Amino acid sequence: MTDALTLVSLLLVAASATAAVAVRDPARQALVLAVLGLALAVLFTVVQAPDVGLSQLAVGSALTPLLILLSVRKVRRRGQHEGGDR
Amino acid sequence: MNGWLVAATVLLAAGFGPVVWGVATGPLERRVVAQNFGTSVVCLVMLLLSQAYVRPSYVDLALVLAVLGPAGTLVYARLLADDLGDDPPHANLLTVVAASAATVIVVAMCVATGPGRATVKLVLIGVLLVAGNVIASRALAGGFPGAGASTRD
Repeated sequence: MTDALTLVSLLLVAASATAAVAVRDPARQALVLAVLGLALAVLFTVVQAPDVGLSQLAVGSALTPLLILLSVRKVRRRGQHEGGDR
Repeated sequence: MNGWLVAATVLLAAGFGPVVWGVATGPLERRVVAQNFGTSVVCLVMLLLSQAYVRPSYVDLALVLAVLGPAGTLVYARLLADDLGDDPPHANLLTVVAASAATVIVVAMCVATGPGRATVKLVLIGVLLVAGNVIASRALAGGFPGAGASTRD
């Protein structure tokens, strides 16, 4: 049964990582990256490394999306500003 | 053969598989809702895993996720407010499903652990999970008017 659980979490990590690469829009990519972080945390816990999973959760669920979305917002604003000047 | 492990596997496959599909395809509203639901599912999976491996300290993972998951969703609700403004996502059914699943699993684990400090921790996680889920889905549905748009300009 442990093997089945490991297999399921590995498949979910592979699927969400592929989706994170395939999605092009950065704002949507941030959402997929958050889900990839959740899948990785489950995988780390299943292979008995809960400390790594804990840090993955702390970084992946709130911090990475926040950084990405703030960068996207800043870049968009700068683009609008320069577009208005011309 | 461990019933908790079977439950964790089934919940992971049946709950998190559709979440990956929902977050990778479709309109932005559906993706945000799927991500929010995913945090609840993974939190419950962590609870079941800690019971399956007989390691009470694994409950900390679920506690951290119960706090940080709704916080992450609020980040999306705040920063994607412009894109979500036209057609805010309503996910009342998913919220009810997540809240009732959390209640069932937390009560089952409380019965399995017996009274003590561990039970208090489990109840705290359950309350955080349900409250965070309700608040996050309400924020996504635009339930707090003015929180997103007022400070944008």
